[in-house]
Amino acid sequence: MASATNSTNQLLPLELIDKCIGSKIWVIMKSEKEFTGTLLGFDDYVNMVLEDVTEYENTPEGRKTTHLDQILLNGNNITMLIPGGEEYLLQATPLTSQQITKLSSFLTKQIKRSLRLSLNTMIFYYLICFYTL
Amino acid sequence: MTEETHNAPVEPNAVEGPLDLVRLSLDERIYVKLRGDRELHGKLHVLLLFPAYDGHLNMVLGDVEETITVVEINEETYEEVIRNITVLESQWNFTSEKNTSNEERR
Amino acid sequence: MQQPPQQERSPTEFLSNVIGRPVVVKLNSGVDYRGILSCLDGYMNIALEQTEEWVNGQLKNKYGDAFIRGNNVLYISADKTRKREPLNIQ
Repeated sequence: MASATNSTNQLLPLELIDKCIGSKIWVIMKSEKEFTGTLLGFDDYVNMVLEDVTEYENTPEGRKTTHLDQILLNGNNITMLIPGGEEYLLQATPLTSQQITKLSSFLTKQIKRSLRLSLNTMIFYYLICFYTL
Repeated sequence: MTEETHNAPVEPNAVEGPLDLVRLSLDERIYVKLRGDRELHGKLHVLLLFPAYDGHLNMVLGDVEETITVVEINEETYEEVIRNITVLESQWNFTSEKNTSNEERR
Repeated sequence: MQQPPQQERSPTEFLSNVIGRPVVVKLNSGVDYRGILSCLDGYMNIALEQTEEWVNGQLKNKYGDAFIRGNNVLYISADKTRKREPLNIQ
């Protein structure tokens, strides 16, 4: 491990995963593949034992899911681990282009509004300062 | 995965690790499935009493028959045509660990 | 006999538990190998008995014994029943 000091408020990456033992976890692989399931254990190579697993495969024909009772997942092809499970996965379903345009216009509107607001307050405070001086 | 040591078991015919399955296939014809739809049939050699394989699954095979499977799509019917190309190699052949997918004993 | 719910199971524990049981070994290529797990090692090299090769949900081949090199293994999957012989419903 790179960090020599392990202060109380600092959490090592694998300690975070250790805290996930017994609860749901979402595993994202190098390829178009994901797994969710209850984490039972793992080792130094981040090979993981998962229970009640759902395997998600993104194929050209669409998303394919498979249920598996218990697996030992090879850590070699894991890219990311997310504590939690399906509730995140639902948010991660790909958005349609319509949703994306809606979302982006909403966000730009919000950003513009907040900018305008902050600019207004800036001017306001500037004027107050100016007049008090 | 830096060091790859494999201790030879004391019992000559006992199966202790998966590599013992390979050891038990010595001097027999085996079927090796490689990456990229390639297959080999060949005899797993014993060279001067030394088994011709190692922990990386590098292997020395003899009387090798290589089969390359090519799936072509017929331009008129759009049907998949599976062609098996068999290459006979009389010389012994050295398979590298990188492309070994899995090996089955017949 | 009721087993206490095991909260933690390390990969080595899992491996020692699945020896002799029917398993599904999935490779990175997507091919499934179903068979009885006779033994394995720390590199996830696997020896299977009564092996069936499944490609895209179709049975393609059967082998008596098969050695699978560990680097190709995506996962080893087993049924949840522990220590007990699984029912053979064909």
